[in-house]
Amino acid sequence: MKRKTFLQFTAPSNIVMLVLLVFPLLYALWLGMNFMTFRTINEPVFVGLDNFKTILNDPAFWAALRWTLVIVVVAVSAHMIIGFVIALALDQVKGRMRAFYLAASLIPMIVVPLVGTIIFKQLFDPPGLFAWAYRSVTGNIFVFNATTMKQLILVHTIWIVTPWAIVLFFAGMQTIPQEQVDASSVDGANRWQQVRHVVIPHLRPLIILTALIAVMDMFRLFDNVFVLTRLNPVYASDTVLTYNFRTAMTVQRLGLGNAIAIILVITIVIALIPLLYVSYRDQIKDR
Amino acid sequence: MRPITHPFARIGLHLFLWAVVLYSTLPFVWTTLNSFKTKRDANAATPQFVFEPTLEAYSAVLLKSASDNGILVGFGIFAVLATLVTIGLFAKRIPLSTKAIYWGIAAALALIVWFLPTIVDTAEFYDNFLNTIIIATGAVIISVAIGAPAGYALARYTGISGVVILLGALAFRSLPRLGYILPYFQVSQDIGLWDTYILVIIVLVAVNQPFTIWMLRAFFMTVPKEIEESAMVDGASRFAAFRKVVIPVVWPGIVATSLFTLLIVYHEFLLIRILTQQNKTLTVAMTQFLGGVSVPGSVPRQSAAAVVSVLPLIIVVLIFQKQFVKGIGAGAVKG
Repeated sequence: MKRKTFLQFTAPSNIVMLVLLVFPLLYALWLGMNFMTFRTINEPVFVGLDNFKTILNDPAFWAALRWTLVIVVVAVSAHMIIGFVIALALDQVKGRMRAFYLAASLIPMIVVPLVGTIIFKQLFDPPGLFAWAYRSVTGNIFVFNATTMKQLILVHTIWIVTPWAIVLFFAGMQTIPQEQVDASSVDGANRWQQVRHVVIPHLRPLIILTALIAVMDMFRLFDNVFVLTRLNPVYASDTVLTYNFRTAMTVQRLGLGNAIAIILVITIVIALIPLLYVSYRDQIKDR
Repeated sequence: MRPITHPFARIGLHLFLWAVVLYSTLPFVWTTLNSFKTKRDANAATPQFVFEPTLEAYSAVLLKSASDNGILVGFGIFAVLATLVTIGLFAKRIPLSTKAIYWGIAAALALIVWFLPTIVDTAEFYDNFLNTIIIATGAVIISVAIGAPAGYALARYTGISGVVILLGALAFRSLPRLGYILPYFQVSQDIGLWDTYILVIIVLVAVNQPFTIWMLRAFFMTVPKEIEESAMVDGASRFAAFRKVVIPVVWPGIVATSLFTLLIVYHEFLLIRILTQQNKTLTVAMTQFLGGVSVPGSVPRQSAAAVVSVLPLIIVVLIFQKQFVKGIGAGAVKG
């Protein structure tokens, strides 16, 4: 394909991304250096890098960042392990039942995150199923506090993202050459050894990719934390994005909010470098 | 993997998978039950599994005022929908073109949805439902329409600028929406596009474009070059070959990509919440049922609203489940 044709074909898409993704980001960077509220949205006051200094000196920001990192580490590893096990089990079933199991396990990912959180929380609210079970088993009332709320956020986050891992690993397992499995069976490998020496090596690129995509999605966690905590500071469960939302929308420090977003963007881009490098190498290799 | 054959092990396997089914669907099942309860049943100290079902919550969510003939209209609509579904299921056995039947069903559904407000006194939540349909359809169509040629060109072009665009898109795919909100908000207010369909659609197209082109590119990579080359030897232009030869081959991939775009657009909360007032979508409208910081909302209404807002999406995805699963596989394994 000629360069000119390439540019023509990609032009609409590139123009949209340039005008609505690249320029707004640069503008956001500039707004991050201003002081403004909703009332003064059209007369921003330039304050330079003060906003960035304020944030980096705010213990609440570091607490939010720490909590976000905890979610990233716990949820990413847990959902991949759970997803892998479920995918292995699905791989053992054929036909109609497989389609049924697969469809059912996709539900958490199809349900709108915001709505999914509402229905998840219903189980734990006073008349809910889990609240009742908890009361019946332990004799205590289930209360939301900083600890239980954090556990709930972790559980719910894992619940939402697990289907991705299930489907990705399941799709990957379908591409394992049968000869490799047969050969290892002939060599007398047991199931665990097959998983260890055939399945996991085959899925390695997919595992890395899933992990990296999950990491960057976890950094953006907002909807479920927003619904579960209703931004109530009692729970001390702010992620970087809810902290950002609170600063920008509730406290109305719009410039400050943008500065947080910019810091988060920089953090994510740094976290992305391995993924960018891996896909850069792949792209170059393909040519 | 070597298949498990021992009968006990198989039973264990199925029990495990049933546990997974329970784990995935329990919250949704519980909410659906709640949506048919009275407030009293929903707030009972011991969970009620057997109760007298009522449509109170649904009529409260969907109707402005409960009319006398509400139940009648409800049954009528339900009967029509059931008939349409039955026709859809047996479309292959009817001696008419299957495609025509599907289009007919889609048109009938659209007519019902559109003209329902003239029959029944629908509440704002129903308008939000219509907004969702308009915004989601528009965003999906435009995304794929501009993404398809780009994805095709990225799959075929070998120069370095292709790599630059792909990596840039990957970086932008992962950025938080909050960073964009203020620029979008301010500029759209200045040019008077705030709270319009067109603004929301274009913004959603833009934020999803990186994802769309990556996924479409993965599908176009699976099409051998020879297909369009032979068409071009016969005198077709590159674009004609792309439209007439490549697109039909890659059509299942385009359906899968549309499905994913639909999912992301339907899930979007933050951007639409900031950019709309009247024309908000169901996802944003759900927040009115959340209740306050410490007071939970009315459980049956919350549940009914949740079911209404999620059910259309679940139905669409389950209809296209095969393409959906294949799409995840292709998009990830290749990309």
